[in-house]
Amino acid sequence: MNALRRWAGTTGFRVTLLHLALTLLGTALLAGIGYWATSRFAVRQIAAEIERDVGVLLNAARIGGVPSLALSIEARIAADRSGTQFFLLAGADGGRIAGNLASAPHQAGWASIEVDTAREDSVMLAFGTALPANHFLLVGRDLAPVRALEAQLLGAAGWVGGAAILLALGGGLLVGRGVARRAASMERALALVEEGRMETRLTARPGGDEFDRLARRVNATLDRLQLTMAALRQVSDDIAHDLRTPLTRLRRRLESMEGAEEAVAECDRILDIFAALLRIAEVESGARRAAFAPVALDEVCATVAELYAPAAMERGQILVAQIDHGQTIQGDRELLTQMLANLVENAIRHGRADGTVRLALEDRAITVADDGPGIPAEARDLVFRRFHRLDASRTTPGTGLGLALVAAVAALHGLRITLEDAGPGLRVRLAW
Amino acid sequence: MRILLVEDDAATAADIARALGGAGHLVSHVADGRQGLMEAIGGGFEVLVVDRMLPGLDGLGLIRALRAAGIATPALMLTARGSLNDRVEGLDAGADDYLPKPFALPELLARVHALGRRPAVMAPEATVLRVAELEMDLLRRTVTRAGQRIELQPREWRLLEYLMRHAGRVVTRSMLLEGVWDIHFDPRTSVVETHVSRLRAKLGEPDLIQTLRGAGYTIRPPDA
Repeated sequence: MNALRRWAGTTGFRVTLLHLALTLLGTALLAGIGYWATSRFAVRQIAAEIERDVGVLLNAARIGGVPSLALSIEARIAADRSGTQFFLLAGADGGRIAGNLASAPHQAGWASIEVDTAREDSVMLAFGTALPANHFLLVGRDLAPVRALEAQLLGAAGWVGGAAILLALGGGLLVGRGVARRAASMERALALVEEGRMETRLTARPGGDEFDRLARRVNATLDRLQLTMAALRQVSDDIAHDLRTPLTRLRRRLESMEGAEEAVAECDRILDIFAALLRIAEVESGARRAAFAPVALDEVCATVAELYAPAAMERGQILVAQIDHGQTIQGDRELLTQMLANLVENAIRHGRADGTVRLALEDRAITVADDGPGIPAEARDLVFRRFHRLDASRTTPGTGLGLALVAAVAALHGLRITLEDAGPGLRVRLAW
Repeated sequence: MRILLVEDDAATAADIARALGGAGHLVSHVADGRQGLMEAIGGGFEVLVVDRMLPGLDGLGLIRALRAAGIATPALMLTARGSLNDRVEGLDAGADDYLPKPFALPELLARVHALGRRPAVMAPEATVLRVAELEMDLLRRTVTRAGQRIELQPREWRLLEYLMRHAGRVVTRSMLLEGVWDIHFDPRTSVVETHVSRLRAKLGEPDLIQTLRGAGYTIRPPDA
């Protein structure tokens, strides 16, 4: 059912539908015109035969009078094996003199008249002529052969139409499936790229159709993107190597000097910021997706809770962990652990001394709550920015990058992050 | 111990060589990957300290080639890139430990010591670990001090086991985080300190776990 619904949403399906509609329209037009022309031609043929009969009979009347005419009519009726010819010669009193019709309206000119034969709803085409001395001649031909022809035409049109529908459907499916298959293979390849497998390329046959040309364009774009990412990586490496190495040496020098503890601490802070920035950049690049594996969140939560419980206790706080078991997501265990550790660290740092820090793993959500001053609603969007620190926490240690990393890791895993009022305090909710 | 140091940055190499030499080790230093590989194959070293980014042959290639040649000398890989993939790549290539730069020299010393040959009693297959009158039975999962049973939480057990397996040597904060909690980042809160002090309190007096300022912890008999 789902596959059907997906199929209904594809270009292939729409192309098939359009193809089908156009084919049907074409077949109907062709059949209609053919029907109309053939049927008209057949009626005209019959009319011509009637005119010829009338001519011959009038000639007989002119030469031999009414008796000769009656004789001619009887002879014609006798010769008509198919029983499709009708005649009536009526006298001045309206009574039948000759013919095989009981009666007919005395109307000159062309008329369609119902015939009272064994066949139902048979109609004949008739031509009436007034004769001298109030006599009346009617010559008619049954239209049944024309109706039969029409029925045959309709039947043929039905067969042709049916075949056209099948052909259109088959062709559409074939074309659609080809298109769908190409699109699906492109989609699969790009999904791999999205997961961080940057070396993935679309298949493009040399020469090829518009899909191959599109694939080549996408591949060229990916090449460029990969180059850019490599360049970015190179810059990061350069920063890492060319700035951190001398900083490390500086730190080592300072370490060996008396009374330089503050300078060493400042060096450590700079090194920490570098490390955090590089880590955030790495997370945001999405390269870690390639290493995603199922992560048991209860284990991650339990580890973090267990790790931080004594630290919370040092501040007189209680760390309460409420963990539902059996929840697993695709992800990077190390990053998820670090994300959660950052949140718990924040909660311990900003929570009320002697208060409670709550870590909960519920159905499709992790929450970390403290009972400290919280964050005003209008400032909540800002805290995930790099280096953003609320005025109140400027005096406490920290790089201002902890929540930026949390946001980056959450985004990498497709977790929605919201800040809520825990009344009092702040509750961070990560949902998926 | 005889230690081979393969590091291209002269100043860093000098610092490391000085620190290792100061701890009583014999250090050979080369600055090039290919040369490092030759030296390492030449043998006689108990620990290798290899930088990841090297001219000639990079650290990963060096260790891979070494392992392919069947040489199992413990190797510590250094790297200036703190990236998450790097550690996995380093360990996959056959390195035994991994240390991102910048690192404190005591951290390097502690990790080099941990990689060095273990005393026979501390072999991984030992079933009872002992420090002074503290005894840890790995099979019966009991800890006693002078015959007195001490009850430990699972994590406290792992913490004590890690310390006792490295008895007499320095273990750093990050070694404990990695070895006990499998955590590879540096928490800003002093979590390890609080765990160690709780364990200390359970083990009682006199204190067997010593804190070495700026370096880490070591468990050893109080008189040693």
